[in-house]
Amino acid sequence: MKTNIAPTKTNLLSLGHELKFARLGYELLDQKRNILVIELLNLVDQAADHEEKVEKALAEAYRTLEEAVIDMGKLKVTQVASAINIESRVKITQRKVMGVGLPVVDTGFDDYPPYYSPMNNSFWIDSSLNEFKAVLQIMGKLAELKISIMRLAREVKKTIRKVNALEKIAIPELRETVKYIQNRLEENERDMIILLKMIKTRLEKKKEKSDN
Amino acid sequence: MKYFVIGDEDAVLGFGLVGVQGVKAETPAEAETAFNSALEDSDVGIIIIDFKIADMIRPLVDRYIFTEQFPLIVEVPGREGRLPGRPGIRAMVNEAIGIKL
Repeated sequence: MKTNIAPTKTNLLSLGHELKFARLGYELLDQKRNILVIELLNLVDQAADHEEKVEKALAEAYRTLEEAVIDMGKLKVTQVASAINIESRVKITQRKVMGVGLPVVDTGFDDYPPYYSPMNNSFWIDSSLNEFKAVLQIMGKLAELKISIMRLAREVKKTIRKVNALEKIAIPELRETVKYIQNRLEENERDMIILLKMIKTRLEKKKEKSDN
Repeated sequence: MKYFVIGDEDAVLGFGLVGVQGVKAETPAEAETAFNSALEDSDVGIIIIDFKIADMIRPLVDRYIFTEQFPLIVEVPGREGRLPGRPGIRAMVNEAIGIKL
């Protein structure tokens, strides 16, 4: 509670406005928090799903790659890899949720098959290639989700802090101060009435005396 | 925009198959150099980084994840799969905002 403030009507009015403003801000931030949390929950579900998928796909991709390496030797695989003409590209755009910028990823491939001679190359190379392509495709989505979650979580944390500051400190403090000033003003008013009454009786007495 | 991979030899080779450039990293110093070179290339949109390597340069990685718009960073398990005891995405969020989802 602010006690160093002069208990005047002007201050009461301005504090009243402040209190109203704080309440409005609290309501808005509360809404923002709810919206962010809903969005976050939604994304977390998706991300958990995608994470699992990526892990599975990645394990499979590594397995096929290993087979290819066992079949052909690492050197040969490296050579084939450098000969493959695939260009992977990502398009990253942005969407906004309550002022938080979230990325949207779109993965595509520019490929120019055939990449290599089918002679002397293990078929594992083909499957490995396809697996890694699949991994990359979902990897883009996972990156989008994970980054979105991180940013949203951070924003939620910030918003919660603001909401709590308003709810637990700013608003009660303002309310108490307003009450304090109101009480003081009422007290003053009562004082004034008593004073006026006293003056009135004194004047009446004086009048009576002079009349007599 | 394109991908960039920082990982072990297998990861670099595997993603190399589908036209993703990559750098092999094994020590923190190597990881940092690789990470910085990826950041310098303005055409890199997403950095795929091994969990273990990301852990070596955790402060750097976290700073980029939270503050910079680009590039996006995605951490993946390496050759040996998910490490036991690694928190999932839910646990990470719980830790980050201190509320249970």
